[in-house]
Amino acid sequence: MIVAVLLPRLELTVAVGGRAALLEGPAALAPEPGREQQVGEVSAAAEVFGIHPGMRLGEALSRCPGLALVPPDPLGVADAWEAALAALEDVGAAVEVQAPGLVCFDGAALRRLHGGDGREDPAARLRGRLAGRRQPPGWLDGVVAATRAAVGRPARIGAGPSRFCAVAGAVRARSRRAEIVAGAEDLVAAPVALLRRDPACAGLVEPLERLGITTLGQVAALPRASLADRFGPPGLRARELAVGVDTPLRPRTAGEELQETLDLPEAASGAQLGRALELLVDRLLARRERRGRALRAVVLGARLVEGGTWRSRVVFREPLADPRRMLLVLTGRLATLPAPAESVRLSVERFGPAAAPDTALFDDARAARAARLREAVRQARAAAGPDAALRVLTVDPDSRVPERRAVLTPFEV
Amino acid sequence: MSATGRSARRLGAPVAARVQADRATGRPQRIDGRAVEAVRESWLVEDRWWTTTPLRRRYWEVVTACGRDLVVFRDLHDGRWWRQR
Repeated sequence: MIVAVLLPRLELTVAVGGRAALLEGPAALAPEPGREQQVGEVSAAAEVFGIHPGMRLGEALSRCPGLALVPPDPLGVADAWEAALAALEDVGAAVEVQAPGLVCFDGAALRRLHGGDGREDPAARLRGRLAGRRQPPGWLDGVVAATRAAVGRPARIGAGPSRFCAVAGAVRARSRRAEIVAGAEDLVAAPVALLRRDPACAGLVEPLERLGITTLGQVAALPRASLADRFGPPGLRARELAVGVDTPLRPRTAGEELQETLDLPEAASGAQLGRALELLVDRLLARRERRGRALRAVVLGARLVEGGTWRSRVVFREPLADPRRMLLVLTGRLATLPAPAESVRLSVERFGPAAAPDTALFDDARAARAARLREAVRQARAAAGPDAALRVLTVDPDSRVPERRAVLTPFEV
Repeated sequence: MSATGRSARRLGAPVAARVQADRATGRPQRIDGRAVEAVRESWLVEDRWWTTTPLRRRYWEVVTACGRDLVVFRDLHDGRWWRQR
């Protein structure tokens, strides 16, 4: 039994922050600078105008001229979401993240931890049968209660035999009880808009609606060959979801958080920001928790001076442990920063294998010296801590304030 | 630039100093017990006046009686003295 947890409008709620009154009227997340001009999450009042996430900004504004556009806060969302995921992992859930605000895990795995004695209430079962409702397994209430307590935010919870069924249940849930979607028979009347929850089928919703196909029951009734012919693999995937079939969960490995943040005393950009990035990379690579592993994917973030945040995920072509090569990639990404930053952050999203030492084609003395130096630095750090080997990094050589000109940063060969 | 998590060590970070100064001119006379022989230079630094934490310092480069070349400054917000070299 898969359980899906949906934190409604997480991105919008985080971006709004203390201005909750905005959510009472029509509001939507503005497009991120430099990205496609589509609105993000929308408030309930905006949905009344037919606005949905991913709609073109022009169309959304023409449907609702009074639409309040909220600047996105991707860094704040990432922090809030990571905290929620860590809390779920703390109660034993092996989570698979669908999108910010939507996560699935195998509820049956928590049955012994939080499911109580697993006995069902016969009276409740009888009442449910008389009302024509399907009764959830006895342990589900305990798991749902533990989940709600862990998340600590208003959450909609759904459950079902597959990921998509559970997500459909979470979208439909309106009470504190988990909504059970048992399979294809419970999805018959569900709107095709649910397919937006699956990245592979998100683009099919509008074509299907234009063809007059508005429910998943109608999708399930279509011949497999016709769907494949008209829409290709996404069509086949949509049909599988409509009949309640989905791929197995692939939970993430419980995260190790490794990040470095730098506050910039004045709005930094250009060369100064590049120096800050160099410092961040050096310090991240010098962290003991890295245990010699290369970095596969990192997230570069910044808090902007004018308010709002910026976040960019970088997946390296191959796992890297060389600061120069990392800087080559990250400097280009930093150039897309939409405004001066007051702080920058670099965090590891995924590690690669242990970094193999670079081997030269020919033996040369320089490589041997560098290897000896690396080993010396490693031993010095093992004996005296991470600050045993440092180098002077010029940050802002032209600053009139002496202490801003240079900092000491971990020495990397 | 300051770091959260592990502290980034700055070079040339100011160190608190005990300074006796002339009340009228502000010229330092004794620094950490050492008499000041001559003032080489004095300058004013005003920075970040557009933020909520503006910076105003009066710098003095002096030579002490024992021949040391020191740079001290007075924070014009709180009146405290700091040595920077």
